[in-house]
Amino acid sequence: MTNEKQPEETLEEKINDMQREFGPLLEVKDLAVDFTTDEGKPIHAVRDSSFSVYPGQWVAIVGESGSGKSTSAMACLGLLPGTGHIVGGSIKLEGKEISHYTQKQFVSVRGSKMGLVPQDPMSNLNPVWRIGTQVKEAFVANHMDVSHEKRSNLSKALADADIQIKSEGDETFLGSKELPELMEAAGQALIKAGVEGDKYEKRMEYFHNEWVPGSETRWRVADDLIKSGVKDDDAWYIAKKYVVGSTTTDRAAGLLDEAGLPDAAVRARQYPHEFSGGMRQRALIAMGLACRPELLIADEPTSALDVTVQKRILDHLQDLTNSLGTAVLFITHDLGLAAERAQHIVVMYKGQVVESGPSLEVLQNPQHPYTKRLVAAAPSLSSQRIISYEEKGEDASAIMEHKVNEESLEKGDVIIDVEHLTKEFKLPRRREMFKAVDDVSFKIRRGTTLAIVGESGSGKSTVANMVLRLLDPTAGKVLYNGKDIASFKKDSLLEFRHHVQPVFQNPYGSLDPMYSIYRSIEEPLRIHKIGDKESRLKRVKELLDLVELPESVMQRYPNELSGGQRQRIAIARAMALNPDVIVCDEAVSALDVLVQDQILHLLNDLQTQQGLTYLFITHDLAVVRQIADDVVVMQHGKLVEHGTTDEVFMHPKKQYTKDLLDAIPGGKLELGLNLDHKA
Amino acid sequence: MSDITSKPLPGQERFVAPVDKTPLQSVDNVDESAPATSMWADAWRTLRKNPMFIISGIVIIFILIVALFPGLFTKQNPNYCNLDNSLAGSQAGHPFGFDLQGCDVYSRVIYGARTSISVGVLTTLIVVAVGTLVGAIAGFFGGWIDAVLSRIVDIFLAIPMLLGAIVVLQMFRTSSSIWKVVLVLALFGWVSTARIARGAVLSSKNLEFNTASTALGSTPMRNLFRHILPNSVAPIIVIGTTSLGSYIVSEATLSFLGIGLPSSVVSWGGDISKAQSVLRTDPMVLFYPSLALAITVLAFIMMGDAVKDALDPKSRTA
Amino acid sequence: MGKYLLRRILQMIPVVLGTTLLVYALVFALPGDPVKAMFGDKPVNEAVAAQIRAEYNLDKPFIVQYLLFLKNALSLDFGNTFAGQPVIDEISRAFPVTLKLALMAFCFEAIFGCVFGAIAGLKKGKWYDTVILIVSLLLISVPTFVTGFVGQYFLGVKAHIFPVTAGSDPGFFDLLMPAMVLGSVSMAYIIRLARSEISSNISQDYVRTARAKGMSNTAVTFRHVLRNSMIPVVTYLGQDLGALMGGAMITEQIFNIHGIGYLTYQSILKGEANLVVSVVTLLTLVFVICNLLVDMLYAALDPRIRYA
Repeated sequence: MTNEKQPEETLEEKINDMQREFGPLLEVKDLAVDFTTDEGKPIHAVRDSSFSVYPGQWVAIVGESGSGKSTSAMACLGLLPGTGHIVGGSIKLEGKEISHYTQKQFVSVRGSKMGLVPQDPMSNLNPVWRIGTQVKEAFVANHMDVSHEKRSNLSKALADADIQIKSEGDETFLGSKELPELMEAAGQALIKAGVEGDKYEKRMEYFHNEWVPGSETRWRVADDLIKSGVKDDDAWYIAKKYVVGSTTTDRAAGLLDEAGLPDAAVRARQYPHEFSGGMRQRALIAMGLACRPELLIADEPTSALDVTVQKRILDHLQDLTNSLGTAVLFITHDLGLAAERAQHIVVMYKGQVVESGPSLEVLQNPQHPYTKRLVAAAPSLSSQRIISYEEKGEDASAIMEHKVNEESLEKGDVIIDVEHLTKEFKLPRRREMFKAVDDVSFKIRRGTTLAIVGESGSGKSTVANMVLRLLDPTAGKVLYNGKDIASFKKDSLLEFRHHVQPVFQNPYGSLDPMYSIYRSIEEPLRIHKIGDKESRLKRVKELLDLVELPESVMQRYPNELSGGQRQRIAIARAMALNPDVIVCDEAVSALDVLVQDQILHLLNDLQTQQGLTYLFITHDLAVVRQIADDVVVMQHGKLVEHGTTDEVFMHPKKQYTKDLLDAIPGGKLELGLNLDHKA
Repeated sequence: MSDITSKPLPGQERFVAPVDKTPLQSVDNVDESAPATSMWADAWRTLRKNPMFIISGIVIIFILIVALFPGLFTKQNPNYCNLDNSLAGSQAGHPFGFDLQGCDVYSRVIYGARTSISVGVLTTLIVVAVGTLVGAIAGFFGGWIDAVLSRIVDIFLAIPMLLGAIVVLQMFRTSSSIWKVVLVLALFGWVSTARIARGAVLSSKNLEFNTASTALGSTPMRNLFRHILPNSVAPIIVIGTTSLGSYIVSEATLSFLGIGLPSSVVSWGGDISKAQSVLRTDPMVLFYPSLALAITVLAFIMMGDAVKDALDPKSRTA
Repeated sequence: MGKYLLRRILQMIPVVLGTTLLVYALVFALPGDPVKAMFGDKPVNEAVAAQIRAEYNLDKPFIVQYLLFLKNALSLDFGNTFAGQPVIDEISRAFPVTLKLALMAFCFEAIFGCVFGAIAGLKKGKWYDTVILIVSLLLISVPTFVTGFVGQYFLGVKAHIFPVTAGSDPGFFDLLMPAMVLGSVSMAYIIRLARSEISSNISQDYVRTARAKGMSNTAVTFRHVLRNSMIPVVTYLGQDLGALMGGAMITEQIFNIHGIGYLTYQSILKGEANLVVSVVTLLTLVFVICNLLVDMLYAALDPRIRYA
C-alpha cells in the first residue's frame, strides 16, 4: 500500500499472504452486460470482462466515457441502470455467485458487504433529508450495531495474528452523553498521574480533538490515556466506565468525522444544499463506509471536485480504507490517478478489458495499443514526463506538444494588456460586494499562450469574460493592441470581436441546438457581413478541413456529434474570421483524455500555422504544461503567481502553486523513462 | 512496493487482450452513415411512432373537416325546429332524433363543431401571441420590466378563470358574437402562456450559445430573434396544444351556464344546457353533444401529450 | 423560515390589491351599466337609478369607489342586496356549504389521486398503469358538467345509489357524489402529476445511492421516491383547494346545492353586481391565502426553499 512506505516491510508481506489465503473478495469472470434499445435491439455494453479484487486492495478500472467501466461496477452491486442486464459470465463475492441474485438478495449484500461512493456529489444526496439522517439510513437498513466498531475480515485476521486478542467490549464506541464525564475523569487521572501545566493543557486539547463520539473506541481511549502517563489499570477503569456505546446520532456524526468533515455533529443536522461539493463527497464516503463493507466501489468519487480538494479527499479515503482493511474498486478516467492510488489496474475500452496488471508495470510497459495511446496522452503523465526529463537535464522538447516560443515571449509585441482588473458582484440579499477578481494584471504577447490556472471560484473565467468584453470591469482596464476595449463602440467593437474570439467550456451548450453545423460556423461570417453565399460555403468547408472533420458534418446538428467534435466545431467557428486572439475558457475540461489530447494538438498546430495568441483558462495544471508559455495562477480572485511555464513548474514560489502542482495525479509516480533505475 | 509483491495474486496476472478482439478505432470519428436530423425532424420521427399521436391526429383532422364543411355531413338546417318533433326518437335522416324544441340533434352536433373549434383555435392564437410577447419581454429584459409584468401575471392568475369570465360576460349578455367569449377566455388565459414563455426565454437566454454569439459580434436583439426565441418555441407549442382543449371546455361550460354564447349560436355547451331539463326522460339528447365535446377535447389533450413527449428536452441527447 | 414567510406575505399584498381592483374594475368600469342591468327589461327609473348610484358610490370617481369598497370590505360590509339583505349574511349562509363540498372533493382527489398516481408511477408499463392513464385522460377531457350529468343519471336516476339533488341543507351523503364529480378532474391531474414525478424520481442518483446503502425496496420507495414526489403534488393540491371553491359553481348548479357558486350564479341572473363582486373578491382572497399556505407547506417540505 502506497502510504505505508515507512513501517516494517513485513506488514506488506503479511497482507499479501493473507490475501492469498482468503482468495479474491470479488471475482468477475467474462462478464457481459446488455442494454436494450427502444426497438428491442441489444447493445453490448460490457463483453468478456474479467477482474478480481483481493481484501484490502485498491484495484482501479480505467477507461473513457462509454468504455463500460461504471457498468461493470454497477453490475456487481445489482444496480444497472434502465434496461441493463447481465447476459453472461459470473460475479463472485467471497466465493459466492451473485450475478443471478434477485433485487431482494442484493439488498442483503449492499451496504454491509459492498459499499458505493458515487460520482456526482450534487445529485447523489437526497435534498430533502438531513445529512445525518441519510447516514443513519445505512445502518438502520443493515441492522448495524452502532455502539461497537465492526472490523473487516482482513483487519480482524491481521489483528489476531499480530496484537493481543481484544475482548468484544474494547470496540465499544464513545457516546456524546458520557463525553463530559469522561473528559473530567481523564483530567483528574492526568493530575493524579502528575501531568501538569502546559503538558496537561496539551494533552487535554488532544483528547478534546481525538475523542469524537461515535468514532473513538474504548481501547483507543484507554491507549491515549496510557500514552499520556495514566497507569494501565486506571486508564482501563476510566475507559470501561465512560465508554459504553454510542447512539445512532453519535455514530452518524462519528462516521462523518472519520470521513474528514469538520464539526461533524453540527453538520449532520444540515441539509445537502448547505454543503460544498467536497463536503458532500465526504458525506457520501461516510455513507459508503457506514456499515464497514469489505469492498467499497468508488465510481469516479472525486472527478467533479477541484484538484486540491480531490487530492485531500482521496488521501483521506486511502488512509481510512487502509486502516479499516477495506478493499476499494476505484473507477476513474485518469490513468495517472489510477496508477497512483491502486496496486492493480484494469484498462477498459469499448466494453472490454484490454489490459490489466500491476499498476506500475502497465504504466511503464503498456502492451495493448489502446493503453499505449492512453499513456501517451494522459496530461498528468506527460507533464510528469517533461519534468523528469528536465530534471535530468535532457531535452524534453521531443515529447512536448507545445514548443515554447522564446523569441516571441521576449520580443513579441503585447497584444492583450490587462491592468489592475477588478470585478465586483452584488450578492443577493447581502450588503457587501463580492470581489470576484481583485487587481489582476498581466500581458500576453502576440503568438504566445498564456494560461490562467485556478480552482472554482478563483475568478479565472470572470477575467476571460472581461477580456472578451462580455463583462465590464469594476476597475482597471483591458488593452487590445494598446487600446482600451471599454472605449470601443458599435463599429470598433465589431472590429474587436472580429479579432478576439472565444471557445467555451461546455461543448453541449455553446452551439445552438437549432442550428445546423453549417449555420453555426457561418454565423460569424454573416454577422460581420463577409462574402456571399458561395464564398461562405467555401470558407466553412475550409474550416471543417482545418479542424479535421468531414464536409458531411455540415448538414448535421450538434446533438448528433460527440463532445470533442462539438468543441472542434466551436474552434472552427472561432477561426472563421481569422482572429488574432482566441480565449479558451476550460475548452478541453469536459473531454475524454484522448479527445482532449487531440484538441490540444489541433490548437497547437493552429498556433504554429497562423501565429495565434491564446488565453487559456483551465483548472488543470497538467494541461498547462503541455500548451502554455506563460502561467498566471489565481486564487480567490487574486493573482497568486505569474511566470513562464518552466519557472512555475520547476520553481514555484507560492505555497498555493506548490499545492496545485502536488495535486496533479501521478505526481509521485516513477515513470517508464526511469526504467534504467530499476533493478 | 512492487518489489515486495513480486508475484501477482491469482487472477491478477498481467493480461493483454489480443488486439484484433477489440480493434482500435480512430479517436472521436464521425459516424457518417447515420442520417442528419434536426430537432424538428427528430420530434417528427418520435411522433410518427406514437399511436396516441396518430389516433388524435386522425380525430382532429376529421373534426376540422366537419367544422369547415358541415354541409358534407348533413343536409338538415340545425336551426330548423318543429315542436311537433319534440323529443322524437331517431328516424330516417335524423339518426340522433330530436330535442325538446324539435330540432335535429345530429345536425346540431355537426354544426356545433364549428363553434367549438373556432373558439378553441381563435383563443389559442390570441393567447399564444399575447402570452409569448409578454413572456418574452419579461424574460429577456428582466429587471423592473420583469418585476412589473410578473406581478400583473400573478394578479391574473389569482382570479379563477371561470369566475373572472362570468363577471365579465354578465356585462355583455346582449352581445351575440363568438368574439366576446374568445376575448374573455383570452383575457384570463394569456397569463399561463406568458409564464411558460418567460421561463423558456429565461432558460435559453442563459445558455452558452448566446454568450458565444455575443462574443462573435451579435447584438442582444439579434440573439433574441435568432437564438432565444427559436429555442423557446417547443414549450409554447406544447402549452398551446394542450390548452386548446381546455378553452373548448371553458366555452362549453360558459354556454352551459347560459352566459357564454347566445342561444342563437349552435354550440355543444348550449345544447347540453338545454337538454338538462329532459335528463330523466330522454338522456340521449344530452348524450350526443357531450360525446362530441368529450372526443374533441380528448383528441387535443392527447395531441398535446404526444407533442410534449416528442419535444421534451430530457428525451433528447442534446 | 420567518423571513421567508414575511417576504411571501409582503409579496401577497400587491397581488391582493391588484386582484380586487381588477375584479372591481371589470364589474363597475367596463362599458355596460350595472345599474341598468338591475332593471333588466323594465324601463329605467332615473330617480331610483340615481339613488342606487349614490348608495353604491357609483357617482364618485372610479378609484374613490374602489377605495370605499375596499374600506367597507375590510369591515366585512359588502352592502345590501336589492332585497335589502346584507350581502355578508347571504355569503355566510352559503359559504359553509361550499366549504364542506370543496373539502370533501379535496379529500377525494387527494386520496385517490395520490394512490392511483403512485401505483401508476411505480409500476410504469403494467396494464393497470395503462388503465389508470386512460381513465385519467378521459376524466380530464370530459367537462365537469358532463361528468355531473352522467353521475346524476346513472348513479342517481337509474341506480338510486345517491340522491339526485342535494337541496338547501345537504348532509355528508348528499354531497358525496357532487364532491366526487367536482374533484374528478383534479384527481386526474394529480394522477398524472404524481405518476410523472415518481417515474422521474425513481431514476434519480440519490435513489440509486440509497439502494447501494442496502435499503430495502420498500424503504427506498417511501423515504426517497414518494417523499420527494410529494412536494409538487402537495403544491398542486393546495392551489386546487382555492380553485375548487371557485369551480363549485357548475357542480352546485347541477345538483342544486345552495352554496357560494349557486349564489353567484343566481345573483348574476338577477344582476346583483354588488353580490357578484363581493363573492368573487372573497373567493380570490381564499385562493391567494391558499397559495400562501402552499408556500409555507412547500417550505416545510423542501429544505432548499426554507433556507433560501
